[in-house]
Amino acid sequence: MKRPLSTRSLVLLLTAVLMVSFILSISSGRVPIQFSDMIRMASTFFQNPEDDLMSKDLVFLWIRLPRCLMAVLAGSSLAVTGAVYQALFRNPLVSPDILGVSAGCTFGAALGLVLPFNSIYSVHFLSFGFGLMAVALSMGLARVISIKPVIILVLAGMVVMSFFNALLMVVKYFSDPYDELPGIIYWVMGSLSRITWDNVLVMAPFAAAGLFLFILLGFRLNILSMGDIQARSLGMNPSFFRMILITASSFMVAVCVATCGQIAWIGLVIPHLARTLAGPEHERMIPVSALLGGIFLLLADSLARTLSSAEIPVGIITALTGAPVFAWFMFRNRSSGWI
Amino acid sequence: MDLMLECIDLGFQYRDKIVFSHISFQALPGRFCAILGRNGSGKTTLIHCLNHILNPLSGRILVQGRDLASFSRNDIARTISLLPQEQIDIFPYRVLDVVVMGRAPFLKIAARPGEKDYTIAEEALRQLNAQDLSHRNFNRISGGERQIALLARCLAQAAPIMLLDEPTNHLDFNHQYHLLSTMGRLCREKGISVVAAMHDPNLAAMFADEIIMIKNGRVMAKGVKEEVMTEENISALYDMDIQKLRRNAETFFSPRDISLNSQL
Repeated sequence: MKRPLSTRSLVLLLTAVLMVSFILSISSGRVPIQFSDMIRMASTFFQNPEDDLMSKDLVFLWIRLPRCLMAVLAGSSLAVTGAVYQALFRNPLVSPDILGVSAGCTFGAALGLVLPFNSIYSVHFLSFGFGLMAVALSMGLARVISIKPVIILVLAGMVVMSFFNALLMVVKYFSDPYDELPGIIYWVMGSLSRITWDNVLVMAPFAAAGLFLFILLGFRLNILSMGDIQARSLGMNPSFFRMILITASSFMVAVCVATCGQIAWIGLVIPHLARTLAGPEHERMIPVSALLGGIFLLLADSLARTLSSAEIPVGIITALTGAPVFAWFMFRNRSSGWI
Repeated sequence: MDLMLECIDLGFQYRDKIVFSHISFQALPGRFCAILGRNGSGKTTLIHCLNHILNPLSGRILVQGRDLASFSRNDIARTISLLPQEQIDIFPYRVLDVVVMGRAPFLKIAARPGEKDYTIAEEALRQLNAQDLSHRNFNRISGGERQIALLARCLAQAAPIMLLDEPTNHLDFNHQYHLLSTMGRLCREKGISVVAAMHDPNLAAMFADEIIMIKNGRVMAKGVKEEVMTEENISALYDMDIQKLRRNAETFFSPRDISLNSQL
């Protein structure tokens, strides 16, 4: 139960790591950009905005910068929603997908990709819409059954998830195997290569609002994780808090998946890492989760961009690194009484 | 004496199954009140109705003369604390962080416990002689120590009424006596009204002041321990032939056939 670092110093340290990773990440890639280039661009921007930028400046400003920002936002969002879901469902195996949000988003995106009027906006929009719809269906189904709220919610999520996965199969089956199917498959693997400033501007308010809410409700999450009976006896209305937290999480995850595709493992692994470093109390581990998630996805995406000449989907990197890390955590935390 | 908790004609049912009906009793400050009944007699349901974790379908609960239905969830938590029955493994919280959860009803929704709340939590553990537990992992302490930690949480909640849901479940002999005698002491010292669902009539006879017997969803008998804890009542309550054994001032209840065997 000893903690080597106070939460404050841990947060400061991780913020520093995040900043260093960010600078490393925006300077690496197929077009190398030096720190001096960034200074030059900044000074050009502020002094003579009329001046033309070099082509590598354009790469930096319009492709790499939004992409790296998105990696931080999406990584943080997936990590904190994972932390919140693990607390709500009192289960270490839960990730934000549990209520079908990813399955819904993926189906929506696949539908968008095969529809005749497909554009990048219709794909994002359908994906976001179906992701939220899947969660709403899970919650509605659980509400209708209305016994043992937590377990039923998980089961309802499984029902909805299977249903949307089946719908995804239908879309895949009827899609054009040479043109559309690879698009769907690539999309499912998750990648940050399509990110534009528009995406960042949509993601940022959701991520910020959600993170703010979760940090504020950190202590309440501790109580919710004790189960409904104890939460009620301590003066809380668990169903109300569950609804608020699930709604906020679903918006965050739906935007992530609608823009980046499925990025596996962050929502599952990062909360465990944060708990190991900061302790299980949510008021401490939520900010740490956010920072770790941002760092992790940022570095994974840098690897995805630089490992080979062709870009590797970042979902593959997060799964390849996340799975062994998770195995190691299970081993390390085997005596905590709770993985 | 002032009345602390009064329940009048309380009834509850799950769908079409009536759990109990027409339950009326009173709990007084500084008195330990035990609810006895067989498994499935609705003891836990009754305890949960008493602090509106479940909403009773009929009847009223008055706390210091006010109808509990007019209380907010937070007001209820400031007035009534609960020692839950369930033993769950959760995140590896420190015991102190579990105890400080008792301060939740006094905190704003987005607030986290401050120094004052941690001091209150530590004081609650000290009152139970359990300050050593404070930095241990809640998942790694014994069942008895967990109950002590949760009891400390009830004390940190500082409510004048305390509900105990089968507090000695899963506890060994030592912990059963330790927990209940601590409970009895606190109840008298602090003038708390304790209402406890209990399994063991001997433990109830030893520690409670008042007894409520529930059978088939109705109050079978209630009143001060000396009047209610009779061979006839206990035999009827548990559907078996029970004999009262006396040793000095203490009395014990034991099934008659076992008592006979042991005398042979």
